[in-house]
Amino acid sequence: MHTFGLAKIIVLLRCLRTKSLLGLVFSGIFLSVAVAGPASSANGQGAGEVVAPAVERDVAQWIERMRVAPCGRPYAGTFVVLSSSGSMASSRIWHACEGDQQLERVEALSGTPRTVFRRNDEVRTFLPQSRVVRTDQREPSGIFPRVPVVSGASISQFYGVRQLGRERVAGHVADVIWLKPQDSLRFGYRLWSERETGLVVKLQTLSADGRVLEQAAFSELDLNSPIRADQLSRMMDATAGFKPVVPTVVKTTAAAEGWTLRQSVAGFVPVSCHRRTVSTSDQAQSVLQCLYSDGLASVSLFLESFDPERHPAHSQVSSMGAAHLLSQRVPSDAWLTAVGEVPLQTLRLFAGQLERMR
Amino acid sequence: MNKAVSGNYGSSDNTMMIDELSRREQLSALADGQLQGDEWRDAVALACEDQGQATWALYHMVGDVLRSSDLAKPADPAFLSRLRDQLAHEAAPQPSVETVVGVVAAPGVELAANASVFRWKMVAGFASLAAVAAIGWTSLATLQGGGQAPGGQLASVPERVAVPAAPLVAVAESDDQQVMIRDPRLDELLAAHKQFGSTSALQMPAGFLRNATFESPGR
Repeated sequence: MHTFGLAKIIVLLRCLRTKSLLGLVFSGIFLSVAVAGPASSANGQGAGEVVAPAVERDVAQWIERMRVAPCGRPYAGTFVVLSSSGSMASSRIWHACEGDQQLERVEALSGTPRTVFRRNDEVRTFLPQSRVVRTDQREPSGIFPRVPVVSGASISQFYGVRQLGRERVAGHVADVIWLKPQDSLRFGYRLWSERETGLVVKLQTLSADGRVLEQAAFSELDLNSPIRADQLSRMMDATAGFKPVVPTVVKTTAAAEGWTLRQSVAGFVPVSCHRRTVSTSDQAQSVLQCLYSDGLASVSLFLESFDPERHPAHSQVSSMGAAHLLSQRVPSDAWLTAVGEVPLQTLRLFAGQLERMR
Repeated sequence: MNKAVSGNYGSSDNTMMIDELSRREQLSALADGQLQGDEWRDAVALACEDQGQATWALYHMVGDVLRSSDLAKPADPAFLSRLRDQLAHEAAPQPSVETVVGVVAAPGVELAANASVFRWKMVAGFASLAAVAAIGWTSLATLQGGGQAPGGQLASVPERVAVPAAPLVAVAESDDQQVMIRDPRLDELLAAHKQFGSTSALQMPAGFLRNATFESPGR
């Protein structure tokens, strides 16, 4: 728009100087194009586009559409995350699928230089400054595309959907969808789903009063990227010259560790429990991490033994963007840290329901 | 974009920057009252140098502004010019200025358990002098810079100082008062949640990406 305007003015100025009739005619054409261009795209952004009416989908259908979308086409783009606290980070991302393999490369453009690769559930982080490569195995599902822990049908129990029209994001027309929570135990989401592929190109996490807590979006996206899965796979395996680090992770259950929730928190189902080391220091103690999800939001409960040296006497609360955090001492001398993209109230419910079985 | 990425790697100024960073870290530790013995002596020597003094002063200024936005107001120019003249006639602040001790107890220092130790009083005295000097110096720069806002000065504060504004500041939930705590352990747990807790059905790279993108400054 700006360049258009500028070019227009330059052309007009030149015409006035040379008094060229032809020039004036050209600038007239240019001017009409410049005016028509934005006007037509503004129409495209409006709610009622006549050409291709938006398809009405329910929550489960939208979620299924967005779930399978990433493998529709290989893509490359720049991704920006903004939180309400004002922090911002961007990454360059490449994504491709082949057969039952899904590969992703994420290069951080902010902060410490690092490149993160993901092949299905295997995550490998290259840290070029320290020449370290860290490999983490997430829950191996083996099935592709990953079968959601929470079905679309049960997600629709806790979220309603409303279509808000269409908007352009990163040069692509996208359907705007509002996933509205049915209670105050979770946040709402506003989503931009690319019209043809269904790919989520922008996501806002909303508080109960409609404030944007966090937003993430592509600032630029190429849906016809020539990138291939095997190229990414080879890059992921090129670990020569890096010191490999594989943190120990032991799969377990809450019951086996002696913990239970007296009552489940509405809509949040247990996903997994692991005992892992989260700290990079060598003598770090392992911590139990149990994960709960309602399909869109997730909560991690971290449990470790209470240590008066390290843990404060009072409980602590904290937040970063949409993520909230609650730390407190729980009966029989354990220290709980609950983390999740949910309201603090939900974390308090979790903490209140947690019980030591033995 | 690619240019920005390659710029992150293998900079030849790295050692200089690391050196500079560790100097600032020393000053920061000194301000927090964490140094003793030789380390303390080195840091004080550092704070007496020109650049060290400027950094030290800025740390305190930032601390003041964070404690109360009232302190961010530009001070009375007439008072500051008198102060500046007065300072010009004074000898350089000596760590042994005992007379200043009672005047300003810098809030950052008063927490030190070893407050009774004499050398900490010296630090407190020096800190208060340095803080006054900082305000004078900043205002001087403001006046000379044709009324440029003091924000210009603040903007040049190294990123490290911004730590209190980092996203992860926990608030201890006690009944009567709120205590701000910064806990690296919480950062680690949050990172672990971001990395392994992204089970969202929204197949956006976001879930996976957020773990990779959010990080606190200075780590």
